[in-house]
Amino acid sequence: MASKYKGYAGRMLDVDLTTGKIGEYELSDRDRERFIGGRYISTKILWDLMKPGIDPLSPDNILIIMTSPLTGTGAPSTSRYDISAKSPQTGTIGHSNSGGNFGIHLKKAGWDGVIVRGKAQSPVYLDINDDAVLIKDAKAIWGKDIEETKELMGDKKAGKMVIGPAGENLVRYAIVVSQDRAHGRSGMGAVMGSKNLKGIVAKGSKKIELYDADSFKETIKKWIKMLQGHPATGEFAPKYGTSGFLKSLSDHHALPTKNFSSGHYEDAQMLTGQTLTETRLVKNDGCQSCPIRCARIVELDGRQIKGPEYEILCLLGSNMLINDMDAIIRWNHELDTLGLDAISTGTVMGFAAELNEKGMWKTGIEFGKKDNISAVIRDIALRRGIGADLAEGVKYLSKKYGGEDFAPHSKGMEMAGYEPRGAVGHGLGYATANRGACHLDGGYMIYFEATGPAILDPYDYRSKPSYTILDQNLLSAISAGGNCLFTSWTILPTIVFKVPNSKIVSWLVTQILTVTWPAIELILKMPSSMMRYHLPMLPHSKAIKQATGMDIDFGRFSRMGERGFTLERLFNAREGFSAKDDTLPKRFTDEEQIPGNAKTKVPLGKMLPAYYKLRGWDANGIPTPATIKKLDLEDLIRS
Amino acid sequence: MSYTITEKCNGCGACARNCPAVAISGEKKKPHTIDASLCIECGACGRICPQAAVLDAEGASCMMIKRSEWLKPDIVLESCVACGICIDACPVGCLVLSELPRKKGVDAFPYLKDAKACIGCGFCSRECPVEAVVMQIPIKTQKVAASGESA
Repeated sequence: MASKYKGYAGRMLDVDLTTGKIGEYELSDRDRERFIGGRYISTKILWDLMKPGIDPLSPDNILIIMTSPLTGTGAPSTSRYDISAKSPQTGTIGHSNSGGNFGIHLKKAGWDGVIVRGKAQSPVYLDINDDAVLIKDAKAIWGKDIEETKELMGDKKAGKMVIGPAGENLVRYAIVVSQDRAHGRSGMGAVMGSKNLKGIVAKGSKKIELYDADSFKETIKKWIKMLQGHPATGEFAPKYGTSGFLKSLSDHHALPTKNFSSGHYEDAQMLTGQTLTETRLVKNDGCQSCPIRCARIVELDGRQIKGPEYEILCLLGSNMLINDMDAIIRWNHELDTLGLDAISTGTVMGFAAELNEKGMWKTGIEFGKKDNISAVIRDIALRRGIGADLAEGVKYLSKKYGGEDFAPHSKGMEMAGYEPRGAVGHGLGYATANRGACHLDGGYMIYFEATGPAILDPYDYRSKPSYTILDQNLLSAISAGGNCLFTSWTILPTIVFKVPNSKIVSWLVTQILTVTWPAIELILKMPSSMMRYHLPMLPHSKAIKQATGMDIDFGRFSRMGERGFTLERLFNAREGFSAKDDTLPKRFTDEEQIPGNAKTKVPLGKMLPAYYKLRGWDANGIPTPATIKKLDLEDLIRS
Repeated sequence: MSYTITEKCNGCGACARNCPAVAISGEKKKPHTIDASLCIECGACGRICPQAAVLDAEGASCMMIKRSEWLKPDIVLESCVACGICIDACPVGCLVLSELPRKKGVDAFPYLKDAKACIGCGFCSRECPVEAVVMQIPIKTQKVAASGESA
């Protein structure tokens, strides 16, 4: 049954690798209306199909690749697609969103998504060519690194998503790669490895039909112009990439340094995007359909390769007390070809270095020591020697060797490159994010607390629950709709980027933003019927409406974000997660980052009750029946 | 819908050699056929057929055009946002992203690397979200055509 809405391909592939059966999955239009696309539709399908309590690396886990209505329509930054499953890193819902052209090709082949169940007896890959879907033998490419796999697997012009040796060896933070972009977090590469699935290839010749193609084209033309004219997405990101704000994070004491023990790194300037651009950048790169183009191309051994992102410059840089950008460029390339998540690997290394320094686990991994990092990265991917333990992640290491107080993770997912004590709202995001300590799922509060132009007081805790919820809802809605999260940067009008030039005005803006949190609470409580408009600086809802023909406006769009976020929470609750798991290690909640300054810790105990209350969850962090009813999720609970 | 070949076809095989989707088959000197499930409606067969034996998706007869006068993409650098959609849309892979960034700035840009391979389908221009790809007869040929008219 095809969808009545345009924009979608309207069909979903359902593949069982155990039996080799290839069929279709019927997704109802009601679910499309409620969850739009990407991670939220995946979570709904997982909720329907998967039994709670299963082992994420067993054949019982279900892997879902899902696109969104805007994927491949030409709207800006919409090459993105999502991979979801129960996460082997955390046991919570796992989802990972990335650029790369696989999603576009999958949709052109006539499929909105792919559900993969079971486990193949020997290595295979899935070949999708329009309606022809085949499970093909991959014994010859099993064990190959990601670069070679992309070369060897399937047609040259097809979209591909592949795993490397790390995924095959079930490293808990293995990635999936499409083109040069990686699904880094949640360990989706390991889930694919556990199914003996080396990759998926898609090629198609179908067109994506739109509901109102003419107005849609007008909207995206204006949208692209806005993104190009905006200081954040038109100038800063293309010029300096994601690491452009590294120095400013350090100045705000939010740059993880020496395994998150400090937020300030004296050599930060040597690792910034500005330095990268001046000394090493060959040219920009970007995802298909994206006008922002924040990716970097640099040279390594005479070859043009993908340059480092912020996260690795911080986590293998300042967090390891290493200021050598060239070394990091090399490690970045090694992680990408072996198939390891740069964020988790960096945080694991930092934690191992502190364990080593404290004499709790002697591994030879030391702060500031560069010569053995390449070897350790290889060992993790192949699970050799100390790599076997490192491949299990920070939580496992802290249980086995101690150091739980300073093990930077939440729910088992390693923290991303932001020190929460320098931005307490970001800390609240880490604790409450559905997939673990993820900066994006957590609401990316750092943009309002340190990296952005107009900032909230980073230590003021009262303003944070409402802003965090607003951000979490919006970002996840944008992601479900199919855009890159960087398209949210235009939420701040151009004028505020000129503010920091004046200290008094900047101070004033900070004060005003910080004390206006009750207004944000009011917005959150407002029924969506009171927001029947589209925001000019966030045209996402308008584009979805014109692409699909769905009756959606900004109010429904953000309500959809809230609904999905709560659905993921319900999924986690069904797996046994509750308020007790919304925590951060003691280092962040009890120790002052700057000794003597009592404000420099994350007052999680003060923020969480307000957060739950605003979300309509009970004191144990479980959504109440009233909230479930308000969000139109009742049918999930009843069945 | 797909392009079709009428009985006027004499089996010269020019269309089959030109088809980027490998959708055309047939024996030499015998009428060829187009596999509707493979046809991408680029129109290359219609432009090359000397017998005017090809009908487009709407059923209209296609006219042969001299290969040198096929429309080719020209990139308006000022409007281009380097999103790469045109490169992906090209069925023959004749467009690529430049090795070096454009003069001012850090962004590479698409250009027609293999002009001979271009079949003039215009998919690049159609898919471009900012109308930065203009299809036109390459300048050299335009001049020749103009002088031919005046003579």
